[in-house]
Amino acid sequence: MADPIALNVSRLLGSFLPGLSAVLLVMLVNLPVSLTGGLFPAPLLALTAIYFWALVRPDLMPPFVVLCVGLLEDLLSGGPPGVWATGFIAAYALVDRQRENLAGLAGGAAVLGFAAAMALAASATFALTWIMYLRQPPLAPLLLASVFTVMLYPVVALILGWMHRRAVGAIRMVR
Amino acid sequence: MAWFGMRPARSRGALSIRSSVVVCGILAIAIAFLGRAQASIFDTARAKLSDITAPALLEVRAPLVALENWVVGLGTLFSVYRENLELKRENAELRRWQDVALSLENRVRRYEQLLNAVPEEVMPAITARVIGESNRPFVKTMILNAGTEHGVRKGQAVADDRGLIGRIYLTGERTSWVILLTDLSSRVPVVIESSQRRAILAGDNSPMPELDLDLAGGTATPETAAPGDRVLSTGDGGLLPAGVPVGVVVKDGYDLRVALFAGSAGDYVRILEYGVPAPPSATASSAPASVGLKPATPPQPTPTIAVSTSLPPKPVAPQAPVGATETAEDR
Repeated sequence: MADPIALNVSRLLGSFLPGLSAVLLVMLVNLPVSLTGGLFPAPLLALTAIYFWALVRPDLMPPFVVLCVGLLEDLLSGGPPGVWATGFIAAYALVDRQRENLAGLAGGAAVLGFAAAMALAASATFALTWIMYLRQPPLAPLLLASVFTVMLYPVVALILGWMHRRAVGAIRMVR
Repeated sequence: MAWFGMRPARSRGALSIRSSVVVCGILAIAIAFLGRAQASIFDTARAKLSDITAPALLEVRAPLVALENWVVGLGTLFSVYRENLELKRENAELRRWQDVALSLENRVRRYEQLLNAVPEEVMPAITARVIGESNRPFVKTMILNAGTEHGVRKGQAVADDRGLIGRIYLTGERTSWVILLTDLSSRVPVVIESSQRRAILAGDNSPMPELDLDLAGGTATPETAAPGDRVLSTGDGGLLPAGVPVGVVVKDGYDLRVALFAGSAGDYVRILEYGVPAPPSATASSAPASVGLKPATPPQPTPTIAVSTSLPPKPVAPQAPVGATETAEDR
């Protein structure tokens, strides 16, 4: 029989894992260096974590955590606060509305599902930036960052899936 | 095969989650507009955060920059021979120009002595290390390891050995953030060297900022700005020191843009200690009775303050107030 204290500790740690993974990805993409020599904007890897956990464990990725992750992204990247937070919340709203449909997708279709969330987040951010600065922001860097993020989604989803099975998912079975 | 497909968990309280989404969405938009109107609230948090993470950024950056240089260097492996020949040719040409420049410098010095011209003030600078760069879709910034305790102030110009990079828009105690000339919100007054035509250099997150010549009521003509013309900073508005090289004009369709002299940031940059001169009325009482041109003095080496990563901050010479530097658009 499993030790109840150890189970509670692992359950507690597992419940922090989705938010922690998103925060770690924010920090990773905001490392002070570009491996492409500044050619491509950094991808928005935090959105992959938000999308993934909002699908499989929405109870562990509530909207408030998404807001905090978005604000951290804005704070670390040096951008205006609230811009990417709005984009992330928009993507979260899409996942919340279409959870059953999006979670049923597999393979290439799953990537397309994420691409839809990415497109919505990018559109919301683009529109908000346009309104705030009263001039059209450049579209190309945003498109590049979005495409780059979608291309990396399968890799990140594999790692997050492993975490889900090993740590977070195991806790759910105990309940 | 569902190799990265997922199975959803049954969510509890779907209605409460949806209302939370709406509330958080409204909150995010409110923060965005509040941040635009009252940037100081978030800037303080950002400055504190960069102060705390600065030592870690310094440690992390060195190996990552080495890796970055290696990755970027891979692409140039096959063009090394051609580039070497090109550099040799360029070097020979530059030596010729160096002779011309030295000769002209001597002549100008003699003319200045003959005319009793007021010598140009030597601009001191703080040398700081780049500890972070941000290349995001809407943001182009840089973090330096020098802050208010080293004498860095908001609005100061930042340049490397080739030209202007940007200006300080946020200062912490030990770090400061630079808004690059290419950033979406960057607006810098410049002048076309050949025609002395004023313009605004407007960043749009592309590598070459746009040259806006229409603000003064005119339009670009070949006489005012032509491809290849040098662009310098101006002291207009008290924002930046005048005469710092910025780049050269290039044509992009119907638009004029500026190819910046400063390339991708190196490890060290100079923060120019520029103070807006006080208006004559403010200094009239303290001015000497005989206001005339002083004899020229030989140029002095530019004093710089290096910001070390381990040593305590060094004292900074007294600076003129730069209140007027914040007259331009700030974040």
